[in-house]
Amino acid sequence: MLNTLAPGFSRAAVEELSRHKGEPEWMLQLRLQAWETYETTEAPLGHRGDLGTLKTLANFKYQQLTPFVPASEQPLPSALDTSLQGSLVNERSGLIVQLNSSVVRTELNAELKEQGVILTDLETAVREYPELVREYFMTRCVPVGSSKYTALHAAFWSGGFFLYVPKGVEIEEPILAQVWMSDPLSAVFSHSLIIAEEQSSVRFVEEYDSLFEGDDPALLNDVVEVFAKREARVEFSNLQDLGQNVWNVTTKNATFDQDGSVTFVTADLGAKVNLTTIGAGMLGNGSQAELVGVFFTDYDQRYFINTLSDHAGLSTNAETMIKGVLTDTSRVEFDGMIRIRPKAQQTASFLAAHGLMLSKKARGEFIPGLEIAANDVSASHGATSGQIDENQLFYLMVRGIPRAEAERIIVQGFFEPVLQRIPLENLRIRLRRSIISRMSGVSAAEADTWVDAQERWEIEGVDENAIHLDGNPNDNDEIQLTEY
Amino acid sequence: MHFTICSKEGVLGDMASELVIKNLHANIEGKPILRGVNLTINQGEIHALMGPNGSGKSTLSNVIMGNPQYEVTEGEIWFKGENILEYSPDRRARMGLFLAFQYPMSIPGVSVANFLRRALEAVREGNKPLEEGENPTGKMSKRKTIPPGEFRRLLQEKMKLLKVDNSFINRSINDGFSGGEKKRAEILQMALLQPEIALMDETDSGLDIDALRIVSESVNALTGPNLGVLLITHYQRMLDYIKPDFVHVMFHGRIIKSGGRDLALELEQKGYEWLRPQDSEEEVTADA
Repeated sequence: MLNTLAPGFSRAAVEELSRHKGEPEWMLQLRLQAWETYETTEAPLGHRGDLGTLKTLANFKYQQLTPFVPASEQPLPSALDTSLQGSLVNERSGLIVQLNSSVVRTELNAELKEQGVILTDLETAVREYPELVREYFMTRCVPVGSSKYTALHAAFWSGGFFLYVPKGVEIEEPILAQVWMSDPLSAVFSHSLIIAEEQSSVRFVEEYDSLFEGDDPALLNDVVEVFAKREARVEFSNLQDLGQNVWNVTTKNATFDQDGSVTFVTADLGAKVNLTTIGAGMLGNGSQAELVGVFFTDYDQRYFINTLSDHAGLSTNAETMIKGVLTDTSRVEFDGMIRIRPKAQQTASFLAAHGLMLSKKARGEFIPGLEIAANDVSASHGATSGQIDENQLFYLMVRGIPRAEAERIIVQGFFEPVLQRIPLENLRIRLRRSIISRMSGVSAAEADTWVDAQERWEIEGVDENAIHLDGNPNDNDEIQLTEY
Repeated sequence: MHFTICSKEGVLGDMASELVIKNLHANIEGKPILRGVNLTINQGEIHALMGPNGSGKSTLSNVIMGNPQYEVTEGEIWFKGENILEYSPDRRARMGLFLAFQYPMSIPGVSVANFLRRALEAVREGNKPLEEGENPTGKMSKRKTIPPGEFRRLLQEKMKLLKVDNSFINRSINDGFSGGEKKRAEILQMALLQPEIALMDETDSGLDIDALRIVSESVNALTGPNLGVLLITHYQRMLDYIKPDFVHVMFHGRIIKSGGRDLALELEQKGYEWLRPQDSEEEVTADA
C-alpha cells in the first residue's frame, strides 16, 4: 500500500510517486519531462483590466498541498453509495469511481467486456495496454505542454479512467464516472482517456464532488481526452459540484477523425475558483462538435471559461452554447474562440455565451473571438452579460408574482433553451433543482417537489392533444399525480 | 384593517370594489408627468381615458400598478379602502388590479401555461404580502398549488370563451408573438385572473381592423358587474365595440374633461386641440 507523499511538488516527489506505482520507465520519463515543462512554463496571468481569476489561480499556494493521497482501505464513505442511488443515470453500462488519488471501484457490463470494451483505471491501462496509452495519453488531444497546469497534471496524475470502445460497438446506457475528494490540502489529478474507435458510440457521464468542510483548500486538476474516430459518436457530460473550498483546473479536449461527432455537456456549480479549458479539434472532414455549458455562481466564486472550436477539416460543424447566472460577488470570465483554418472550407460554426447577473456586485466579462482563414464558411458568435431586465420583472409582478419568484422564473426561462439541449434527463432535473434551490434558498427536498411538479406538468404537456373540449379523460390520473 | 368582501357572483352595492385616485402627481426621472389626477372607478363601470400622445395616460396606468420607474410626489391611490401607494406591484395585482400592457414583455423560455398557473396561484393568495421583508426568499413552500387538471379545465374554458388557439400556451410568453397575439394573450390573462379593476393600456394600438374586433369582443365577453375597466385609447375606434359608461380626456397630466359616450364622438369629430388648456402651449412631448 502506498503512503501519502509529503506536501509539496518537486522532481523528487515525481520520482517517488512513479516508483511507488511501479511504473515502466517511459511513464517515469513522461512525468519527469512534464515536470521540466511545468517548471519552465509561466502560468497564464490574463490581461490588464480583466477580472483577475487567472492571476488568483497563479498565486495559489500549491506547495501546501499533498500531491498524492491514496484512498484508505476503510469502507468507502457512505456518500458514495447514496450518490449512486440518486445518480445522474438510471441505467448504466459501467461505473468507475475515483476517491482522492485512487480508483476504488470499477464495474462493466459483461456483454460489453465480451465485445472488447475496456473500462479500467489508467494505472492498470499503463501496465496492460501500454501501446494505447503511449499513443493517446497527453500526446495529441491535450499535449503535456498545453499549459503550466496540464504539465503539472502530467507529472502527478494518479488513478484515472481509461475507456476503449472497439470498432462498431454501440454502448447504449451511459457509463458513470465519479471523482470524489475527501481530504483538505490534497491535490487530485484525475484523468479521463476515452478512445471511441470507428463507428462506435458511447455516453460518458462524469461527476466531481467533494466531501469535506472547512477553509483549508484542495485542488482538483483534471484532464479529459476524447478521441472520436471515423464516424464515432461520443457524448460526454460533466457535473462539477465541488465544495467552495476546492480549486478546480479542468482541461477537456476532443480530437475528431472523419465524420466523428462529440457532444460536451458541462455543468459547473461548485468550486471556489474554476478554470475550464474546453476544446474541439475537428481535424477530420465532416466532423461535428457540440458544447453545451451551464453554470451558476454565488458567494465569491470565480470562474474562467475558455472554449475553442478548432476547425481544421473540410465541412466541419460546431455549436457552442454557454449560459450562466452570477449572484453575490461572484465573477465569471468567458473567452470563446472559433478558429477556422485554411483547409476548413464549407464549415459552419456558431458560438453563443450569455451571463445573467442577479447582483450588482457580480461581474461578468464575456468575450467571443473569431479567427477565420478560409473563405467559404459560415460563422457567427455572440456573447453578452447583463442584469436581469426590470421590465420583465415588472411584467411578472403585475400578474401577482412576488419579486423573488419573478426573478426565479426569469432565470429558469433563461436557462431553459440550454437545459433542453442536455441529453441526460437526470442531469437536466438535477440542474433545475439546483437552480430553484439557489434562487429561492429553500431546502433541496422542497425544491424537488417543485421540480417534480414542473417536470410532470411539462411531461403531461398542455398541448393541443391534451386539451379536450369535452373534458380530459385522464383527469382522474392527473389529480392523483398532484398529491405529492 | 378594512375588509371588503366581493364574491365573483356577488351583488353590486356597497360591497363593490372601488379605485379612487386623488390629486395624483408623478415624475419619471425627475420630470413631472402626472400633475393632479382625480378619478374614481367602480367595479362594473367602463371608463375610457382618451387624450393626445404624451398626455400621461400610460403613466397613469403604470403608477396605479406601482411601476418603480415612476415616483409619486403627491396624492393618493385607494383601492378597496386601502391606500395602496406603498404596496408592491404584485400585491396590488393580488388585490384585484390588472394591467393589460401596451407593449407586453416577452420572456423567453417561460411557457405561457406555466406562467399563467403561477400567476393564478399567486392571485388566489389574495391581499397579503408574500415578501416585503418577512420572507425575502419568496413564498414557494407554503403556496397552495393548483392541480394541473383543475388549471387545465379553467384555462380551456377561458380559451374557448376568447377563441384562443391551443398552441398559444406552450409557447414562451409573448416570444415571437404578433402584435395581435400579444394583445389577445393579455386578454386571456385577464380572463383567467379575474381582476376587479382592469387597466387596458392602448389595447387597440397596432391592431388591424379584424384583430381589433376580435380583441374587443373578448373584452366584452369579460365585462359585467364584477369588472371595472379603464380603457386607455388614443382613438375612438375601439369605443365602437366597447361601450364606455364614462369618457375622460387627459391633457398635460390632468383629466380636463369628463362626460358620457357622446364626448368620445365629439373628440372623433373635433380632435383634441379645442380642449387644450391655456397653460400647456409648449407641452405634448414624447410618449409617456
